[in-house]
Amino acid sequence: MPYQLKNQPADAREKLYFPEIFRALGIVITTFWRNAFFSRDANPDVLARDIRRSRVTTILYPEEKMTYAPGYRGLHRLVPRADGSPRCVACYMCASACPAQCIYIQAAEVEGDPIEKYPSKFVIDELRCVVCGFCVEACPKDAIRMDTGEHPAPTYDRGGQIYDEKRLLRGPPVSYDYDPWLRRGARLPEPDMKRMRDLARPFAKDANDEFSQTPGFSVRALAGEAKVRAQGDSK
Amino acid sequence: MKRFVGMWLVIGAVLLGLFALFEVFYLFAGLAASVAVSLGAPPFYGTAIANTVTLMAVLLMTVAALLTVAERKWSAAMQDRVGANRIRVFGTALGGVPYLLADALKMLTKEATYPAARSRLLFELAPVMAFAPTFALFAVVPVGPSVEVFRQPVALIVANPDVGLLWIFALAGLAVYGTTLAGWASNSRAGLLGGVRAASQMISYEVSLGLSLVGVMLAYRTLNMQDMVVAQGNPVFGPVPALGVLLQPLGFLVFFTSTFAETKRAPFDLPEGESEIVGYFVEYSGMKFGMMFLAEFVEVVILAGVVTAVFLGGWHPILFEGWLKDHLAPLAFAGIGATAFMAKVVLLCWLQLVIRWLLPRFRFDQIQALCWKMLLPAALLNLFVTAAAVLIDPTLTVLAWVGAVEIVAIFGVTAAVARSPVAGGAHGHEGGHAAHAAGH
Repeated sequence: MPYQLKNQPADAREKLYFPEIFRALGIVITTFWRNAFFSRDANPDVLARDIRRSRVTTILYPEEKMTYAPGYRGLHRLVPRADGSPRCVACYMCASACPAQCIYIQAAEVEGDPIEKYPSKFVIDELRCVVCGFCVEACPKDAIRMDTGEHPAPTYDRGGQIYDEKRLLRGPPVSYDYDPWLRRGARLPEPDMKRMRDLARPFAKDANDEFSQTPGFSVRALAGEAKVRAQGDSK
Repeated sequence: MKRFVGMWLVIGAVLLGLFALFEVFYLFAGLAASVAVSLGAPPFYGTAIANTVTLMAVLLMTVAALLTVAERKWSAAMQDRVGANRIRVFGTALGGVPYLLADALKMLTKEATYPAARSRLLFELAPVMAFAPTFALFAVVPVGPSVEVFRQPVALIVANPDVGLLWIFALAGLAVYGTTLAGWASNSRAGLLGGVRAASQMISYEVSLGLSLVGVMLAYRTLNMQDMVVAQGNPVFGPVPALGVLLQPLGFLVFFTSTFAETKRAPFDLPEGESEIVGYFVEYSGMKFGMMFLAEFVEVVILAGVVTAVFLGGWHPILFEGWLKDHLAPLAFAGIGATAFMAKVVLLCWLQLVIRWLLPRFRFDQIQALCWKMLLPAALLNLFVTAAAVLIDPTLTVLAWVGAVEIVAIFGVTAAVARSPVAGGAHGHEGGHAAHAAGH
């Protein structure tokens, strides 16, 4: 706990030195007692932890993970449509906006459709990415998001950090009533469709993309809510 | 809550295990004594050899090695952390104990590098010189009382010379050589400076270390450690036994502080300063460094043992002692006594760790000032007061009263809230007056 320090000269007891050490001993011993004899609250939301007994704030990382704030910019994903194909129309807006120039797109025409395009290649080099989120802002189709809540996984070679459309296309599909392709019925070639459908697997459990774009988000408010929740559980 | 119960179960199990272990030690020593007698030698030849093996090689080394693990876990608990827990055996970290093996394996298999310009013989000798004297210190520390086993007198003490305390002073003085030689033989500036710091610190604290024990010698009129522990069981007022910490609270504080400086641990870790100011063993690596490192932990355990024997009543269980003595077989009581000794030693080791994380490292001049301006006068004062009290009343009652008053005074000063909330205000008020006066 931070407390206000008054800049005043040491009094007699502080000059004696030993009494103050004894007082401090009490503090350290209490801390030891709390932490050694009572188990740690393993709530990943550290702010909401119950510190009445143990005050250990450790998160044992690979086993326990912090929940990120909903606005956290994690690993990119290409948002699938309801049918599993990417929402991306290969407009190159994200690649143009990218300050790190880490996005590479190769557009292809959808067979039998005079207008529609799709990315036959969509590659993001996560080593170059500066995680600024400009691509998400630039996208006119809500086709690229950073709402996975994951880091790029560590790899032993650089090639592993280059994510192509096969790895990027995942997560819950998003569809809007005004999506133009819904009015045209154009479809990808069937083998591509099948592949993309297979890739559009569901997400890790704490993906909360409803909140990811929410303005006015506050960690403090969330922590407060979590605390209230925890108290409600304990009662 | 599960952890709370579990911790107490573990503590109980450890105490029970220690009790069983000490019973085995007693039987082993008794057996060795009978063998010695049957060979025509005095029985203490046998017990000395048996106790060297059991107490020094098994018990002391195990406790010291476990202390390296305990340091990690206990430090973590004091700092709101979890501590070493990555080595898992069947899914549990076992309180970090497997790190013991991991550390030993690491030390043994690590590459040892040597400075080219070292003084070869002394460089090899220094870890031994650091390790051996402290190790030999344990020989006179009485772990358990004397009982008859297999009709032979057996005590859990390696040697019981009449010069017990002097032996401690002598060997504690020798420990300086290991550190100083390590610094000098490395032929490195950092190492040499560390060695010089170690020498000056240890020699300075030697003085208060010795003087603080003179009071105890006067009070118990003996230098023999076993006699001293026995004397601490005698009642002084009512049922209260004549513990060293009661008769000599000031001496206890001075001695305990000096042992910190002797073990070169925080807040007196100027000679080492692993992280910032490199110390006397900066050029050591591999198992030689391990020896230096382990010597420190062994020293902690041994000095905790000395403090226990001299000030905390040694193997006297203190609580329910009369009842235990009346209702148990002498051998069982001896085992409980030895367990009590070990419990006190572990408690003191723990206290050393608490203080380690409590205080930041002293500056060098502060270390010397603490020794020469605080501890030495305090030890001298304690000596004069003790001498006077013993002269007035040889039954130690006056001394015990003096000690009780000292303890009450220490706790009183500690508990008194010197810095009341008005203090700041009053100060400001005075300042206002002064300004007012100056204005006039």
